[in-house]
Amino acid sequence: MTQAEIKLCSLLLQEHFGEIVEKIGVHLIRTGSQPLRVIAHDTGTSLDQVKKALCVLIQHNLVIYQVHKRGVVEYEAQCSRVLRMLRYPRYIYTAKTLYSDTGELIVEELLLNGKMTMSAVVKKVADRLTETMEDGKTMDYAEVSNTFVRLADTHFVQRCPLVPATENSDSGPPPPAPTLVISEKDMYLVPKLSLIGKGKRRRSSEEDATGEPKAKRPKHTADNKEPIPDDGIYWQADLDRFHQHFRDQAIVSAVANRMDQTSSEIVRTMLRMSEITTSSSAPFTQPLSSNEIFRSLPVGYNISKQVLDQYLTLLADDPLEFVGKSGDSGGGMYVINLHKALGSLATATLESVVQERFGSRCARIFRLVLQKKHLEQKQEIPKTPDHAPSRTFYLYTVNILSAARMLLHRCYKSIANLIERRQFETKENKRLLEKSQRVEAIIASMQATGAEEAQLQEIEEMITAPERQQLETLKRNVNKLDASEIQVDETIFLLESYIESTMKRQ
Amino acid sequence: MAGNKGRGRAAYTFNIEAVGFSRGEKLPDAVLKPPPLFPDADYKPVPLRTGEGEDYMLALKQELRETMKRMPYFMETPEEKQDIERYSKRYMKVYKEEWIPDWRRLPREMMPTKKCKKGPKSKKAKDAGKGTSLTNTADVLKKIEELEKRGDGEKSDEENEEKEGSKEKGKEGEEEEEDDAAEQEEYDEEEQEEENDYINSYFEDGDDFGADSDDNMDEATY
Repeated sequence: MTQAEIKLCSLLLQEHFGEIVEKIGVHLIRTGSQPLRVIAHDTGTSLDQVKKALCVLIQHNLVIYQVHKRGVVEYEAQCSRVLRMLRYPRYIYTAKTLYSDTGELIVEELLLNGKMTMSAVVKKVADRLTETMEDGKTMDYAEVSNTFVRLADTHFVQRCPLVPATENSDSGPPPPAPTLVISEKDMYLVPKLSLIGKGKRRRSSEEDATGEPKAKRPKHTADNKEPIPDDGIYWQADLDRFHQHFRDQAIVSAVANRMDQTSSEIVRTMLRMSEITTSSSAPFTQPLSSNEIFRSLPVGYNISKQVLDQYLTLLADDPLEFVGKSGDSGGGMYVINLHKALGSLATATLESVVQERFGSRCARIFRLVLQKKHLEQKQEIPKTPDHAPSRTFYLYTVNILSAARMLLHRCYKSIANLIERRQFETKENKRLLEKSQRVEAIIASMQATGAEEAQLQEIEEMITAPERQQLETLKRNVNKLDASEIQVDETIFLLESYIESTMKRQ
Repeated sequence: MAGNKGRGRAAYTFNIEAVGFSRGEKLPDAVLKPPPLFPDADYKPVPLRTGEGEDYMLALKQELRETMKRMPYFMETPEEKQDIERYSKRYMKVYKEEWIPDWRRLPREMMPTKKCKKGPKSKKAKDAGKGTSLTNTADVLKKIEELEKRGDGEKSDEENEEKEGSKEKGKEGEEEEEDDAAEQEEYDEEEQEEENDYINSYFEDGDDFGADSDDNMDEATY
């Protein structure tokens, strides 16, 4: 792990889980696999806190454990998984576009909690949706369940490995740690549950005038005592499936930019057909015949078979080689060259960076060298075959993999800088922010108890005009920094996908 | 390569002028200090993308940040003791649900073993079926002892683990973990209760009003 990655992981862990979890997590990322007591000793943290931190990290799939010989359990951090926390908004938003608010909240809950049982998710999401609905309306569990099943069917959520069922007649002491297993066929299997119920509204502050903390309220009286029907069956978001979706999105939009809408729709259709049949790390999709593609085009897309064939030929002939022709049966067999597509996307990213950072001339040189593979500064033909330095020619070339790695490393650094700057800006204005929050809270409570306009005005004036200006500026800056983080993460995704795809082929 | 050094001046295979400095000129000085912290960029960066999706993701990101801080997974660092213990601080603590992991999925050493101050209530009843009558009496005595103290029930885990070691029963693991889950939920609630008659909602400033906001709060927060 590079220093830049470790730094970024540290910032992410600290922001999401606090300093203690950050300390333990970063320590594991740095040192690799370690047992409990060594972690406590090396980090100077109490055993109790290390345990809690590890529980949190394991719950969120950031740390895994393994039993080594002599019963020693060792814990290992997953650095790349920590970095995925940057992408949470994108995952949630994608779920929203595909499965609307219900899907969005399901994925959000799973990401916020690491793993949950289906019944817990359904209940929580139903409650949350009910909060947003009009008075008197509630969200039925069945509807949430249906969306959950759809997410499982399309592999956006998956089951976590299970604790093996222990037999009661086990002789000897139980193992120091369970070995979790899951079989391929069970991974998306939804348990048969009959979840009946509706979402419940939390009591609003009007009814509950004293504003008691939740502890005082009777804690879910009936629910806790009921046995959980799917106890032990946990679900998590399947990030790889989301990544496959992002990759498909990137390819489709690249085709749309380069050619036209119709071509991109054809490519989208082909990718959709290959979703389940092709593994996400394959270099190209399974061959699809032109006939099949024609039949699978979206309803309402009225192009004739001949036009489709023309488009396919055009796509296959394009130098970018996103689509390839692999045979002639069935009207022509076509594949999507996933690896080549990722390479093109990574290259385009590099070109764009060169252009924006060094100017058009440099970009032109860069593109030329890429195209010709090896270029000399002045195209001279070598005169003598020996290796004398005065007559040796040095050629320039672009090593895409190296360049991609270097740019990726820079991206990690960039995001770390963005986060640090954002934290700095927030800290600088901490006093003002707290004041503003207090004022807002007071106004809210006064509005709730029906205060006059004049009184509200008075409270609002507690924040002076220059202070308001300052707050506006702060908000603008923080928004910009946050938006930048999201965009840099998109670049990270493209580069990482390309690098991963290349490494798998070597 | 060394052989050519004596043959007059070295000839470059590339046009030296094009690189930036002419022949004969001194090469630039060696760099003696690190590059500037904020180097001047020749070109301004491209503006960020805007749009519905981007705006939504931005709002999501900021909301998630706030939500995560309120979740039980966020471990607060215990603050240093202040000079004067502010009275209002007691009532300003943000209520956080306690999170109990599913112990069945975790290594056994993960279970906390710190001494508890308050004992569990019906814990030992389950143990009745396991031991001899002697152990039962010991259990009851222990239970009475624990009930006199306050705290969480984690000690029972420790005791059970000790017993486990001595009795070597494979079955216990599963049973006691179920107990734990039930137990800890019970006394968590009690733990949160203050030991006095003050209504928790009474506090001096408007800090906590509205601070426990809905999950669906749309306002962007920093």
